[in-house]
Amino acid sequence: MADGHETDKNIEVWKIKKLIKALEAARGNGTSMISLIMPPRDQISRVTKMLGDEFGTASNIKSRVNRQSVLGAITSAQQRLKLYNKVPPNGLVLYTGTIVTEDGKEKKVTIDFEPFRPINASLYLCDNKFHTEALNELLESDDKFGFIVMDGNGTLFGTLSGNTREVLHKFSVDLPKKHGRGGQSALRFARLRMEKRHNYVRKTAELATQFYINPATSQPNVSGLILAGSADFKTELSQSDMFDPRLQAKILNVVDVSYGGENGFNQAIELSAEILSNVKFIQEKRLIGKYFEEISQDTGKYVFGVDDTLKALEMGAVETLIVWENLDMNRFEKMSLLEWFANEYKRFGCTLEFVTNKSQEGSQFCRGFGGIGGILRYQLDMRTFDDFSDDGGLDDDSE
Amino acid sequence: MVDIEEDIRSLQLDSAEDNNGVVNPEDGKPEEVEKSDKMDEDPKQEVQAQVVEAEPKVKDKEISSVQEEDDELETRKRHLNVVFIGHVDAGKSTTGGQILFLSGQVDERTIQKYEKEAKDKSRESWYMAYIMDTNEEERVKGKTVEVGRAHFETETTRFTILDAPGHKSYVPNMISGASQADIGVLVISARKGEFETGYERGGQTREHVQLAKTLGVAKLIVVVNKMDEPTVQWSKERYDEIESKMVPFLKQSGYNVKKDVLFLPISGLMGINMKTRMDKSICPWWNGPCLFEALDSIVVPLRDPKGPFRMPILDKFKDMGTVVMGKVESGSVREGDSMLVMPNKDHVKVVAIFIDEERVKHVGPGENLRIRLSGVEEEDILSGFVLSSVANPVPAVTEFVAQLAILELLDNAIFTAGYKAVLHIHSVVEECEIVELLQQMDPKTKKPMKKKILFVKNGAVVVCRVQVQNSICIEKFSDFPQLGRFTLRTEGKTVAVGKVTGL
Repeated sequence: MADGHETDKNIEVWKIKKLIKALEAARGNGTSMISLIMPPRDQISRVTKMLGDEFGTASNIKSRVNRQSVLGAITSAQQRLKLYNKVPPNGLVLYTGTIVTEDGKEKKVTIDFEPFRPINASLYLCDNKFHTEALNELLESDDKFGFIVMDGNGTLFGTLSGNTREVLHKFSVDLPKKHGRGGQSALRFARLRMEKRHNYVRKTAELATQFYINPATSQPNVSGLILAGSADFKTELSQSDMFDPRLQAKILNVVDVSYGGENGFNQAIELSAEILSNVKFIQEKRLIGKYFEEISQDTGKYVFGVDDTLKALEMGAVETLIVWENLDMNRFEKMSLLEWFANEYKRFGCTLEFVTNKSQEGSQFCRGFGGIGGILRYQLDMRTFDDFSDDGGLDDDSE
Repeated sequence: MVDIEEDIRSLQLDSAEDNNGVVNPEDGKPEEVEKSDKMDEDPKQEVQAQVVEAEPKVKDKEISSVQEEDDELETRKRHLNVVFIGHVDAGKSTTGGQILFLSGQVDERTIQKYEKEAKDKSRESWYMAYIMDTNEEERVKGKTVEVGRAHFETETTRFTILDAPGHKSYVPNMISGASQADIGVLVISARKGEFETGYERGGQTREHVQLAKTLGVAKLIVVVNKMDEPTVQWSKERYDEIESKMVPFLKQSGYNVKKDVLFLPISGLMGINMKTRMDKSICPWWNGPCLFEALDSIVVPLRDPKGPFRMPILDKFKDMGTVVMGKVESGSVREGDSMLVMPNKDHVKVVAIFIDEERVKHVGPGENLRIRLSGVEEEDILSGFVLSSVANPVPAVTEFVAQLAILELLDNAIFTAGYKAVLHIHSVVEECEIVELLQQMDPKTKKPMKKKILFVKNGAVVVCRVQVQNSICIEKFSDFPQLGRFTLRTEGKTVAVGKVTGL
């Protein structure tokens, strides 16, 4: 039961992501697009009154076109609000306005929904675009983990939250190597070397404070910190008194990785998988890992490519349907395949998982298998009945 | 602490006497500290100075001496780059240090100083390694981190020793060392249990051998070290056991055991069977050569000095201009030549060339050099860049086609497009992504298979397209093997090796 709920939430998240994308892309005429967010326990009446006042103010707008569209937007917001007698438990989000479509036509849109988790923001803005920052925060408000990957060539600061893996900052250093210059005093060289290393640790420590401490609250903005690196820099950093004690308290793990940069970041995530097992990103890696396992062991309990996957779905053989969240493919003329999956997956008795291409496995899944596939309940040899269409069909998927 | 300082001071005196008033070539100012430390860093210079009838090193006379040297060029001894590889704690640095000591590159005083330093850390057996491990962190832990570099010569050959780190975490550094090497010395510990851990899956004896072969180390000397150990005591059984276990593995890694590999027992710490053949009283059953003989006798194919110039840059620093370090992979260079630093296409002029500490006019392929350049700032060069001739420069690319052999993927992983790994090619270390699998090679016929592929598993050979973020300088394997062979690694493991087949 709980599992099913979890899946629904994931789909919910995906829908919001999609919505945000659509909202961000929308542009309107003049400043006639209203973004309205009410936190839980707000009062509808308060907002209605505010909208009434705004209506009054907006009547004074000089430009006729602009005035009309603003007034129109406010009216539709008011109308929409009338449908609610109180603010839903998780708050209410409302977007309304006239957007200009691709072919230059004007279109009135009004979107209202209750977010999947309580939203802690209050917003009323009239602008030429929709404001979605609060929604983005909503997606991010999962536990966030900070990563510092430090080696002799540079440092990478990153975060992992939900299924997003983000690189905040990267910088490289040029530390003197073992045998730098000939003829230079070894003692002096050793001293310079130590100094450079010290400065490097200091710089990293300072940047860590900058990235992981919220200046407004003076509290860490991550729920845990993982230090990774080759050689001794990571331990040096964690023990250094230049390293912020507030962050020191947050260190969950110190891991040995063989490279810096992105690869080191990935390895650090991999090595901390135990600690981060609740994070979506890790679950995603595991899921695709399991899928790859089926492939590498040749169990025949896997399927990939649109055609094959759909066939398997129809047969009810798919246990877990895995789809890249940005898969750009239409079922029919208008409807996106993803949307169709999101609405219909239950009909096929499978679970639906959206994945990103941010992890190694995800990247392979999207590039190598076209971003769609599934783990099957039982062995099914696709090739036996669509041998001839195999090549062509797969070509289309893998771009 | 005080003792060490005293040691240093006495050392300064010593070197001052030894030097016989040799003046620092760079600034002509006799500065005591400088001199003594130069000694630590590169004692060879002093020794050479004495051997070559105290060559005048004062600046104004330098030019004339260089000219004389130019004639000597043709008669210069051959040069070989030797990399020391093997599992952690096998004794690579110790053996390397012992070689330097035996060949007279390190004087007694320095050794005593190191002996004392090691004793203070109650790690007495580490003192030989201190010759190679110069960083404080390395000495504290007794583990090499960065590739150590030193020079020595025998009757017939000048050698550059590259002492690779054996620890798993530092394999990337080992790769950079081995990529410059002509021959390798694989150090194996005969001590009970140590050979076994190195040889196991995940042990670095294995990984290093595989890497060395793919990095172009054609010949291998396998030294079975620590034969003097109480658990070994020059036992023939132990030696034979190790040899018999290593041979199939070396074969499997692509070495022709009869032609390219040589086994011999040594004790790196004691220096037995290294410079001279050992006494029968120590080891009655060994009739073979000692390490120096083995190194001397190795034959490597000659390189063509007339090819287009290529030198991957390993390191750079500022020293009266911009100085770059590297090994010449192809062609030759003369003082005054115009060159290109690729991929940035910076036009530079060669101001001076140094082998070791010695200034030379003209160098052929295979040498390990420092070159002073004008026309480029030190900040504008990164290791991984290539110093290249102006005519026929090295291509810079962000995508290339390569043939890959998949060695060992992580558990149950598969190799597909979208696979990300770290690419090591000559001195370049770059993150890369496989963008497309083109075709799989049939392992039996070595011909491409017709079938379209989406994924491959361990052991497969595939042709694929590889993409990197920043442009890198590489060549087709068929043109310049050393600039066209590479390894792919991820999460501390070597997953694949390959060669560039198309740019």
